[in-house]
Amino acid sequence: MPTLAIPNIGAFEIELWTQGSGAPLLFLHGYERHPGGAGFLQRLADNRRVLAPEHPGYGSSTGFEQFHDVLDVALYYRELIESWDIGEIDVLGHCLGGMFAAELAAISPQLVRRLVLVNAYGLWLDEQPTLDPFGRADDVKAAKWHAGPPETEPTNFVPDPADPQAAILFQARNLGSATKFMWPIADRGLRRRLPLVDAPTLVVHGTSDGLLPESYAQEFVRLIPDAELGLIERAGHYPMVEQEDEFVSVVEKFLAA
Amino acid sequence: MRFHWFAQQYYTKLPSDYGDTVRSGSVTPPVSVADPAQVGADYHTYIRLMQQADGLGWDSLLLNEHHQMSLAMTPSPNLIAAILAATTENAAIALCGNSLALYNPPVRVAEEIAMLDCLSGGRVISGIVFGTPMDTAFSYGVPPIELRERFHEARELILRSWKATEPFAFNGKYTKLRYVNPWPRPVQQEIPMWIPGTGSVETWDVVNEFDYCYGYLSFSGKQSAEPIVKGFWDYTAGQGANMNPNRMAFTQVICCADTDEEAEREYADAVKYFYRQNPTAIEFATPPGYVSQQSIRANLERGKTISAAEREQATRGELDFWEYDRLGYIIAGTPERVEQRVRELVTELRIGQLITCMHVGNLPEEVAAKNNHLFATQVIPKLRDIWSDQEDRWTPKVSQERIAAKFGADAAALSA
Repeated sequence: MPTLAIPNIGAFEIELWTQGSGAPLLFLHGYERHPGGAGFLQRLADNRRVLAPEHPGYGSSTGFEQFHDVLDVALYYRELIESWDIGEIDVLGHCLGGMFAAELAAISPQLVRRLVLVNAYGLWLDEQPTLDPFGRADDVKAAKWHAGPPETEPTNFVPDPADPQAAILFQARNLGSATKFMWPIADRGLRRRLPLVDAPTLVVHGTSDGLLPESYAQEFVRLIPDAELGLIERAGHYPMVEQEDEFVSVVEKFLAA
Repeated sequence: MRFHWFAQQYYTKLPSDYGDTVRSGSVTPPVSVADPAQVGADYHTYIRLMQQADGLGWDSLLLNEHHQMSLAMTPSPNLIAAILAATTENAAIALCGNSLALYNPPVRVAEEIAMLDCLSGGRVISGIVFGTPMDTAFSYGVPPIELRERFHEARELILRSWKATEPFAFNGKYTKLRYVNPWPRPVQQEIPMWIPGTGSVETWDVVNEFDYCYGYLSFSGKQSAEPIVKGFWDYTAGQGANMNPNRMAFTQVICCADTDEEAEREYADAVKYFYRQNPTAIEFATPPGYVSQQSIRANLERGKTISAAEREQATRGELDFWEYDRLGYIIAGTPERVEQRVRELVTELRIGQLITCMHVGNLPEEVAAKNNHLFATQVIPKLRDIWSDQEDRWTPKVSQERIAAKFGADAAALSA
């Protein structure tokens, strides 16, 4: 696994999925897990170099305990991008990864060429409180999908025949790390920093998302100076899974501009 | 050995179908079922029973902290402790405990414990707890992944503040204070420290490192607790840490009566109320990040001594009264029977601090008062000598001396 050492902070071992060549695209995954080599990532890698690191504290990626707050995460991704020595990069962030991507774009505008946020966390609207993403498992599962849960959700989990508890521990570790930034309310002050985002931004939103209502996407568009809304119908929290074709085409079109 | 008086401070007038119709007795219990005047009456009942226990020779009066719970209306145990500190003579006041991670700054806990120690003349036991997931993660909104780190930072700050003779600066990750100097400081130079837990290995590491008393506080009794309590002692022996039985506190529901038949008649309804009127929602019990990977694994792999079906029946109030007794949820019957069963429990599991739960559910006050009387006069005197060869640094000296003088073997001989 690649290792990133940040002076004065420490080392991070990173599970990194990477494929393709051309203009670089950083993908930051959501609160549940890294999707592994999911279909939408493969297709985005047809035309560009996709770099999809797993967040520290997820799966087998380490260094999470060195984060004090979300600023540390943004600076960590800045260091990671700079370590690749590729200059500007397009950034696609989903869910919790959307919160991180937006923070990164606000703090390091020189690094982010174009920004795509997909059903992103980071804001809170009093008039439309969201479902607790750590609430009753059945409620969360039902809320995520437009057409009901698929047979398997995209994941980078690799079963270990020697360890029957591995799946439970994988899930517990991932969601436990997410609580640092999303518990009890997934608002760490991003609202005050979104006006600092320079990158042209596409706010993609699966309109049937029971975790995050469409009004949250509209609020991102309102707060980011140069942002447009890309709604995807018949999709919930994972539009890249439920409407893969439309998702890839919308993102490709925006990034090609 | 020591006896600590305790009652889970239930609301006593829950609707009869509460356990079946309400999703959760914690975090989101419907407040509409509770009449504040009745809550006040319930508090007075518990306080009177504890004052009675002080006069009967219990070693401490023990309180716990819970939030947004219909089965434990003690969001601030220190408030009840203040009343007890001012109106009792002998027993220690055991806070079991304050949920350190919930207070900002945590010196608030250092101040209140010190106030109580002064007020009671050095009779405080300071239990410190992580707090249940329902209390900490849901009711008080602490990200579960930060809970343990916040707890330990607070613990260090509090202990240091009690000992410091000069104001000091504390630059923690979660708490920053330029001038730490709580007034007053406690009477006791070494306040007895307890940490109750639910079997997490990392808690065992902490209590062993600092030689605290560990508490396994469940209401499921011996059979179900055995793997955890024995697990603790095996772990402790393996670490070469202190095997003194006075380092183990354990909760046991006691239902004492003149005859076994009377016990069933007087307690059966309240025992069912206690177990049944406590609906637990799974989503509030296991938030991600609350326990470590190591503890999840240990819990998954730990042997179970009670079947899932039995546990389910027990929490639905469906077990027969004597089935609760057989599984150890309660110890019921005549003083002779209770004595024999408690002796077996504390010797087999190496328990030096027995937390006797003398009131359950909606038990009438007069039954609990009789429970107190029978247990104190006919059971405690026969059991007090267990582990008496072992040092006890986990209860306050003042209480030890006063109780020995008034209720010990010598006092009994004098009065005879």
